[in-house]
Amino acid sequence: MTTSAPAGVVLDEFSYDDDIVRKFLFATLIWGTVGMVVGLLIALQLANPAFNLGLEFTSFGRLRPLHTNAVIFAFAGNAFFCGAYYSTQRLLKARMFSDGLSRFHFWGWQLIIVAAALTLPLGLTQAKEYAELEWPIDLAIAVVWVAFAWNFMGTILRRRERHLYVAIWFYIASIVTVAVLHIFNNLSLPAGAFKSYSLYAGVQDAFMQWWYGHNAVAFFLTTPFLGLMYYFMPKAAEGPVFSYRLSILHFWSLVFLYIWAGPHHLHYTALPEWASTLGMLFSVMLWAPSWGGMINGLLTLRGGWQKVVDDPILKFFVVGITAYGMSTFEGPMLSVKSVNALAHYTDWIIAHVHTGALGWNGFLTFGMIYWLAPRLFQAPLHSKKAASLHFWIATFGIILYVVAIYSAGVTQGLMWRAFDETGRLTYPDFVETVLRLMPMYWVRVAGGSLYIAGMLIFSWNIVQTWRKRPARYDVPVVRAAALRAPEPSQAAPSPGLLGGLAFHRRWERMPVLFTVLVTVAVAIASLAEIIPTFLIKSNVPTIASVKPYTPLELYGRDMYIREGCVNCHSQMIRPLRYETERYGEYSKPGESVYEHPFLWGSRRIGPDLAREGGKYPNLWHVRHFANPRELSPRSIMPAYPHFATAPIDFDVLARRVDAMAMLGVPYGEAVTNAIPMARAQAAEIAADIEATGGPAGLADREIVAIVAYMQRIGRDIATTGTVASRGTAP
Amino acid sequence: MSDQDRLIEHEYDGIQEFDNPMPRWWVTTFWGTIIFSGLYLLNVGPIGAGAGRIAQYEADMAAWREAHPTDQGTVDSEALLALAGDHEVLEEGKEIFARNCAACHGPDGGGVIGPNLTDNAWIHGGTIAEIHAVVSEGVLAKGMPAWGRQLTPAQVNAAVAYVWSLQGTTPANPKAAEGAVVAQ
Repeated sequence: MTTSAPAGVVLDEFSYDDDIVRKFLFATLIWGTVGMVVGLLIALQLANPAFNLGLEFTSFGRLRPLHTNAVIFAFAGNAFFCGAYYSTQRLLKARMFSDGLSRFHFWGWQLIIVAAALTLPLGLTQAKEYAELEWPIDLAIAVVWVAFAWNFMGTILRRRERHLYVAIWFYIASIVTVAVLHIFNNLSLPAGAFKSYSLYAGVQDAFMQWWYGHNAVAFFLTTPFLGLMYYFMPKAAEGPVFSYRLSILHFWSLVFLYIWAGPHHLHYTALPEWASTLGMLFSVMLWAPSWGGMINGLLTLRGGWQKVVDDPILKFFVVGITAYGMSTFEGPMLSVKSVNALAHYTDWIIAHVHTGALGWNGFLTFGMIYWLAPRLFQAPLHSKKAASLHFWIATFGIILYVVAIYSAGVTQGLMWRAFDETGRLTYPDFVETVLRLMPMYWVRVAGGSLYIAGMLIFSWNIVQTWRKRPARYDVPVVRAAALRAPEPSQAAPSPGLLGGLAFHRRWERMPVLFTVLVTVAVAIASLAEIIPTFLIKSNVPTIASVKPYTPLELYGRDMYIREGCVNCHSQMIRPLRYETERYGEYSKPGESVYEHPFLWGSRRIGPDLAREGGKYPNLWHVRHFANPRELSPRSIMPAYPHFATAPIDFDVLARRVDAMAMLGVPYGEAVTNAIPMARAQAAEIAADIEATGGPAGLADREIVAIVAYMQRIGRDIATTGTVASRGTAP
Repeated sequence: MSDQDRLIEHEYDGIQEFDNPMPRWWVTTFWGTIIFSGLYLLNVGPIGAGAGRIAQYEADMAAWREAHPTDQGTVDSEALLALAGDHEVLEEGKEIFARNCAACHGPDGGGVIGPNLTDNAWIHGGTIAEIHAVVSEGVLAKGMPAWGRQLTPAQVNAAVAYVWSLQGTTPANPKAAEGAVVAQ
């Protein structure tokens, strides 16, 4: 310890809790592998629908959220906790506030992950991206997160280091903001043990979701990892951080600007244009603050570049930080409306997030754990060669993955908007635009497989290192002086240094004030967009002809949610000529007023369904769900034969309609009469299916509910047919 | 460069920081994006959202309609009947049918979801001009798409000629007759 104590000062003796760090480290290895393998499986499903395995539990729509939740919250989450528990204790010169809370955090988080892995394949989902988990799990997340926050703040208050280092600032911002985001996006009304409806509807729900979704990327995948970077990069590089001033400016600008940027996920949708514009501009303004982090990370290596050649840890950090720089340049670019018009709904977005996830989050995690393993297991890393091999395999894997998926995204985006000389869509058949991507989807499978191969080499290497651990871990005793108020004059910066930054040095000594300031920055930005979105009536002009779904249609919509259809089908036609030509009249804000939750979608692996109602006869849907390839020979949609055999659980409808009514949906007589109404409509549809030559006896089967929903979507503003006019006919 | 670096005295677990100035290009970018955003909000010159997305869409649609007047041409029954006797046209029509029509009308036109096209009963009229109208404009209420929006006029004609040639053939699983019998 370098702290020199003046004579007469009593030093506290304590030790750091590294056992909790080891626990999170192993959880990172296990869940990382699981999450990536599920990713590989869904990549295979897009290349060949046979990989849906013919089971409802393993269809793409149910597994895609499992992949995203596993890699974000289980892999990156555990990695963040691992690094944060290690670095926080050392940066604050204090053991964690409570070992009990640390264990509660660890085991609680792992249980939540197990619950996610069980419920998502069962189709229990809120249908909001990265917030799919149903309300009981959401409550558990809130409790565990608060325990983590309490433990963390308690440690800060007991610290023996007067100033908070920049890594701690980033941890504070992450912990506070994730709590706020999680709670407000998940507000929902339960309609069963694992069933709920979002409190918000349509435009507002979409806004809240992407306020959350974008900032989950910001405050779960970016700021925590910047915090880790600020600790582990100078440690591994054995050099000082490039610029303290840059740390201050880029920290505060990131925290303040990020929150506004969410609406860039909703360009050209029914979201009011002012929100969309703010989302774009704040994203553009995020470019420099994001690059501030990259500069501070990379320039910490100045004068030490030769070390990168033979240190796999630094290699991982350099490529990881570079990937961060690339995706944070691309993010602002994608948020520009005209660029977004091409990229939205395509694989371009998937490529963008994988540059960030595989490059930034993955590589930072790998570098960090290679650095930690010898220190935590008190044995040299088993094989430096294997670590280098991991680096090269994973880098090559990322390149294959993103190059293939970028070209898939641009290809499909251009095909969607292509017109021929007669003014018709060049590719009117949607399937054609999907099939063109197949070679690229196979390259993605190859790239992803390489990345997973690297993950396995990594895990093996770490486990081998662990096996060489001593019989008992040595627990060094640390000595440091407790903080005594008031601070001695040492806090005053030497003249010339830190000019103009003395105010910030003061904030760094006051963690409560610091946390309050972060919260205020986040809250101002949030409220500035949330309040007008909810309060200004003209944002969502009402359309008199838009009515609530019938009880049977609601049941069908819940099936749509359960199967994760929203992962492949949007229900939001943009006001762009090539969209309305393909799908029909563009979607209006007033059409979504009863949509709890909104189902606008974010990716079109299949066509948009916003005007699906009435497009095909009932029998078409019956056959299409049983086997899509019978009607559209090269379709990659999973088959849903179980819809024709599974019985409708009419009993749940009373409670669901009731919940919807409580949310303000004008259900009228359906509140007391939901079940008979549903039975009558089901009988009617079943009779039509039979009369047109389809199978008999479907009146109590789920297929009629989903058909009822399909036939209703987007019809309320239509007068005839699928191409709606702005009429007000009932 | 490193001789300009001034180290801040403080250290955290051995980590130190320089008091380096922020790179000038970075500061320029930082302020540049803020200025750009201000100009965009005020719609200065070419920077900005302009009239907005809906006005832009309406303008695009108007320009498109002007460039592509919806002239389906007059349907000439005799010309269509002549096409129905042209072997090459029928081959093309057969391909178009297999790609777009077979899913609902069956690969041999015997009817599945859509009606049987080989019998002499027709729901929306059985003259070749009426068949052309149904193919081109669709019967949206019943799920028959308007193929005139997706296929070129020549392709629609070929498909109609092929459908016409299916008359009186014997499909494997014919669907029961629907509509009114039309004498040819």
